[in-house]
Amino acid sequence: MSPITLILIAIGLGLAGWLAGRAKAWSFQKADANVRLVARPTYHAWYVAVWVVLPVLAFIALWSFLAPQLVMQTVLASPGAEGLPSFGFQRDSILSEARAVATGSAQGVFNSDAEALIEPFREAISHYNLIGLVVTVMIAFAGGAYAFLRVKPDFRARTRVERTVMIVLLLASLVAILTTFGIFASLVFETVRFFGMVSPVDFLFGSFWGPDPMSNPEAADGTRYGAIPLFWGTIFIGAIIAMIVAIPLGLMSAIYLTQYANPKLRAWVKPALEILAGVPTVVYGYFAALTVAPAIRDMAVAVGISGASTESALAAGVVMGVMIIPFVSSMADDSIAAVPSAMRDGSLAMGATQSETIRRVLFPAALPGIVAGVMLAVSRAIGETMIVVMAASTAANLTVNPLERMTTVTVQIVKMLTGEGSFDHPATLSAFALGFVLFMVTLALNFIALRVVKRFREAYD
Amino acid sequence: MTVIHEKLVDTNAKMRARDVSVYYGDKKAIDEVSIDISPDYVTAFIGPSGCGKSTFLRCFNRMNDTIPVARVTGTIELEDEDIHGNAMDVVQLRARVGMVFQKPNPFPKSIYENIAYGPKIHGLAEKKPDIDEVVEKSLTRAGLWDEVKDRLDESGTALSGGQQQRLCIARAIAVDPEVILMDEPCSALDPIATAKIEELIDELSGRYAIVIVTHSMQQAARVSQRTAFFHLGKMVEYGPTSDIFTNPIEKRTQDYITGRYG
Ligand SMILES: Nc1ncnc2c1ncn2[C@@H]1O[C@H](COP(=O)(O)OP(=O)(O)OP(=O)(O)O)[C@@H](O)[C@H]1O
Ligand SMILES: [Mg+2]
Repeated sequence: MSPITLILIAIGLGLAGWLAGRAKAWSFQKADANVRLVARPTYHAWYVAVWVVLPVLAFIALWSFLAPQLVMQTVLASPGAEGLPSFGFQRDSILSEARAVATGSAQGVFNSDAEALIEPFREAISHYNLIGLVVTVMIAFAGGAYAFLRVKPDFRARTRVERTVMIVLLLASLVAILTTFGIFASLVFETVRFFGMVSPVDFLFGSFWGPDPMSNPEAADGTRYGAIPLFWGTIFIGAIIAMIVAIPLGLMSAIYLTQYANPKLRAWVKPALEILAGVPTVVYGYFAALTVAPAIRDMAVAVGISGASTESALAAGVVMGVMIIPFVSSMADDSIAAVPSAMRDGSLAMGATQSETIRRVLFPAALPGIVAGVMLAVSRAIGETMIVVMAASTAANLTVNPLERMTTVTVQIVKMLTGEGSFDHPATLSAFALGFVLFMVTLALNFIALRVVKRFREAYD
Repeated sequence: MTVIHEKLVDTNAKMRARDVSVYYGDKKAIDEVSIDISPDYVTAFIGPSGCGKSTFLRCFNRMNDTIPVARVTGTIELEDEDIHGNAMDVVQLRARVGMVFQKPNPFPKSIYENIAYGPKIHGLAEKKPDIDEVVEKSLTRAGLWDEVKDRLDESGTALSGGQQQRLCIARAIAVDPEVILMDEPCSALDPIATAKIEELIDELSGRYAIVIVTHSMQQAARVSQRTAFFHLGKMVEYGPTSDIFTNPIEKRTQDYITGRYG
């Protein structure tokens, strides 16, 4: 019996509890019109349903973890298991083959030793399935009965249900937070391993990037792990070229939309811009690689620059800039719109023109929000991978010429993790160190941006 | 239609409104109102909420232009010049006809920059010493100089509400306007701050033609010499403030000032 089946059973029983709870609550009112329920019947219904479903779900979670181990113990205790090797790969593969046949996911076994274990597996599985089912139903009925008996006219079912909902919401938000911590912890762990093999000084300040996944992992050559070209590539593409494109265009479109566009046009253009934000970055990648990069090369050749390649930092940066225009413009739009209209009226009433009002009053007042928007955009840009892979190559290159190939931190992370190196090779582990640096930088950017936005909000509330 | 008390056709009028109507879309908010504004006296607009006082006031500096659905008909002249005419630039008009709003709205800039804003955009003062002079003169006239002279580079929004409102008046004065329009300038202020503003209005009248919208009968009686009573978009009665408050001709005016409705 898979957990899914058990969950379906739990939901079915929950529904029954729901109906029973509601029927009981109703019956109080039917029996005596003077009885006033403290909570509406649906709340009683939900109360019962919650008591049926939540304990069962908890049990199922526990059981789906416990049952396979119990099955394994039973099988190992069976006579057929005596001939098993005491540990190692052989033993594991025999056990898993036997289990596969027992559950029906495989037809036969390669290893004849597994033959003897199929029947014990089958028996143990059905044995524990039955136990799981029975316990599920028992818990459901116990929980349901407890809740059902508490349904009385003066029972405050609503507060209970609402508290439960609140706890569920809390758990949901904890999942995101805990995940962040988990990611961070694993990054830190692997990063520390990497720095055990390559010195942080070489990594942070070296200017040559060329890890060799085939080299001897015991004697890592620190001079091949200089990440400066990657940091530079990331900043050059994501924070310089992309921003040169995105900031002016994003701001101008925000100013146009908030100050000049008539409402009909605004209602049309704003969603269109937001759709731009939803285009998958791979699609931007095609665009960069197939359209923008060759165009840039042709232009470079036309003005007489020789040696321009089809892969260039400029192409990736420009397309990335276009990609983040919506971020900049929607943050700028929000912050300009948040400046009280009294400011605008005050300035216009002084005889300022529309553009003077925007430049001298609205824009400075909205500046903190705009800055925050730009920071979020930067942190998004430096985390971007696809466009760079497709348009700016994977070769590290420390240069200020935007027409040359260049690569970024994220691209190298992908390259190192998908490379041939084994998982404990410094070349592979370097991906974690790069990820760690990236994580810290974007975290800092987001943190500052959020603080700025918060201050800004307070200023006008 | 409008009851106008005798002898009130003004020869020294700074602004003349004739048959002015304002529409918001199809809705008529002001209906054929004519009035003269002069530096010789302070004019008060009174009337129940929603009768169109603010709407009418905004006609004098064309602030209704900033409301897309608003449409103004009739003529308004500033020194015999049509303010809707081709010869009149709205930027110039607003420099000559200043406005103070109900809620103090200093710009989120320093006190100094708040005052310097108008003179700078209109090119009245370019060099630092000239601007310094305008700032000091305007703040002094608005009765705020002594309170802020040591902290001119603090933000204007850090002042108290009453100080902010006087800052806004100083800001309006800084471009040396001929007319100052005030829309309930004291409604967000406490009695002491209100008294300061009223004193200020008294001092400024004579130099500037002042129009004030107010909900307070006492305030209208204290600061104005002419009062116009509005009701449902019409100017019901216009006359010397003392007459309006002691001998109103129209029953609606009497009902309003005695607090029977509105
Ligand atoms: N921007 C606008 N768009 C549409 N209608 C408006 C607008 N501004 C005002 N109105 C309408 O015009 C009428 C007059 O409004 P106005 O603000 O001039 O009244 P008021 O006399 O100043 O009132 P109050 O004393 O409450 O400030 C009201 O019916 C109002 O609903
Ligand atoms: Mg008003």
